[in-house]
Amino acid sequence: MPDISVGLNCPTCGGAISIAEGENAVNCPYCSSVLFVEGDQGVTTIAFKNKVARDSAMTSTQSWWRRGLKARDLPKTGKVIETYPIYLPFWRTSTRVAGWICGYEERRHTDQKGNVKVERIPKESMVLQDYSYSEIACDPGDLGIRSLRNLVGESSFADFEMIPTFEATTSKDDAVVHAKTDAVSKARSSARVPHVTFERLHVFPRALTMIYYPVWVVRYNYRDRMYMDTVDGITGQVLSGRAPGDPLFQSLAVTGGSSLGGLIAAGSIIYGSSADDWRIGLAGLAVGLVVLFLAYRFFRHGSERIEGEFKDKKATMAQTLKQVQGVAKQLEGLR
Amino acid sequence: MRVIQVKCPQCNSPIQMKQKDSLFLCGQCNAIHVRDGGIEKLDYEIAEFSPSAQGEKVYMPFWRVYASFVIRSKNVEGGSMFKLMSFVKGSSDGGNMFIYIPASEMDPDNFKRMATQFTSGPPRYSTRLNFGGAGRLPAVVNKKDAAELADFVVVTMEAEQPGVLQRLDYTLTVNDTKLVYLPFVRGASGLMPAL
Repeated sequence: MPDISVGLNCPTCGGAISIAEGENAVNCPYCSSVLFVEGDQGVTTIAFKNKVARDSAMTSTQSWWRRGLKARDLPKTGKVIETYPIYLPFWRTSTRVAGWICGYEERRHTDQKGNVKVERIPKESMVLQDYSYSEIACDPGDLGIRSLRNLVGESSFADFEMIPTFEATTSKDDAVVHAKTDAVSKARSSARVPHVTFERLHVFPRALTMIYYPVWVVRYNYRDRMYMDTVDGITGQVLSGRAPGDPLFQSLAVTGGSSLGGLIAAGSIIYGSSADDWRIGLAGLAVGLVVLFLAYRFFRHGSERIEGEFKDKKATMAQTLKQVQGVAKQLEGLR
Repeated sequence: MRVIQVKCPQCNSPIQMKQKDSLFLCGQCNAIHVRDGGIEKLDYEIAEFSPSAQGEKVYMPFWRVYASFVIRSKNVEGGSMFKLMSFVKGSSDGGNMFIYIPASEMDPDNFKRMATQFTSGPPRYSTRLNFGGAGRLPAVVNKKDAAELADFVVVTMEAEQPGVLQRLDYTLTVNDTKLVYLPFVRGASGLMPAL
């Protein structure tokens, strides 16, 4: 369980009490009274205290500039324009899944004569597991943050009046639906039953919490272009950001990738023809094309390095996979 | 967020407990109530300890779900489907049964073991009116979830028999759910039933 607690006072004796995330009942340690928390429509709200100073956020950004395949002169040329903290709202929930997934797995065996035999192995898998889920409760715009990574921090509303707060705009019902879908998806993955013939899963949403999380936004300038990154207000780590790429790395990628891809493809075709096995050549050609494609992709998009949960970044990755799958299918058709 | 003192809906006495529990027991009138989306007073039973029970005595809460179960069709690879039907009272393809759902926090293995143990061999006991100073484990599973977990338990009981379950077309209708406290003693190997 995450280490989240809220400080309150007992209405009976005034003693300080602490309520863990998701709990709605607590016993006063001083007078033993049982206390019940009536939340905002059943949702517990928590705000984490900002633990990172402005200078630390800038230092984190500057050390982030040195990592990865970013422009080599970014640490020298980059200049921080402004740094400010914000509170972002997140839905967080814990969901228990209990049930059974039954079905079978197919294993293909090829004998010496090339005959393929399909073996069907029956499988049954029990699922009884708790899954955590979080999602941002507002439109994150171009911040590149969509879920919570850290769940350990001191709960306090003390900074609320000083730090601009994004209002929650998504509904808790939608968050619960998304959490259920996520939990079922994870449960199915953990069951590892490729062909399902029977499935009965029960989903139990256990606790729903609204967490206001402090994030530093750092805007900086590099060669007359504006970039931005975000820094975790508790851990001080960079959560997301855009940074300039380096033309040298792009050139090396496209040159090296083309050479490597070509060598793999040509070598495999030559070796396959000498071994009288066309499958080696075809496999090598496929690997070579994938290497070439990845090199091209880095060249195409390498002018800007993107880290975090950006919508356009996800689309690019999905497109990449789709394109690789398309190439694989075409090669499958050739066979 | 507002914090209120919990009071008994039957006698209005403040509830005082040493442990966190979703079931609120009134020390004055022994009524138990829950606050899951509204105040509901629960009917419950307390089982008597066996006279030979030795060691630290503790009560564990269970939801006893009385359900009607009907199997329409089934398919098992390398096994048979007779175990579940042997617990069902009624016709050959359906009937009624008591399903015991542990209501306290426990790991999945213990949950499964306890549920199948008491469902396959329903406990016989005489009842008493109070806990008699014995400890009481807190409950974390509510009545609504217990009904769904009952479905999970019956499939679990069948799936764990010889053979690999491939298909089970059935309906489970919950007729009644009652809170039952069963007696246990704490030993070196954990909690053991003391009926």
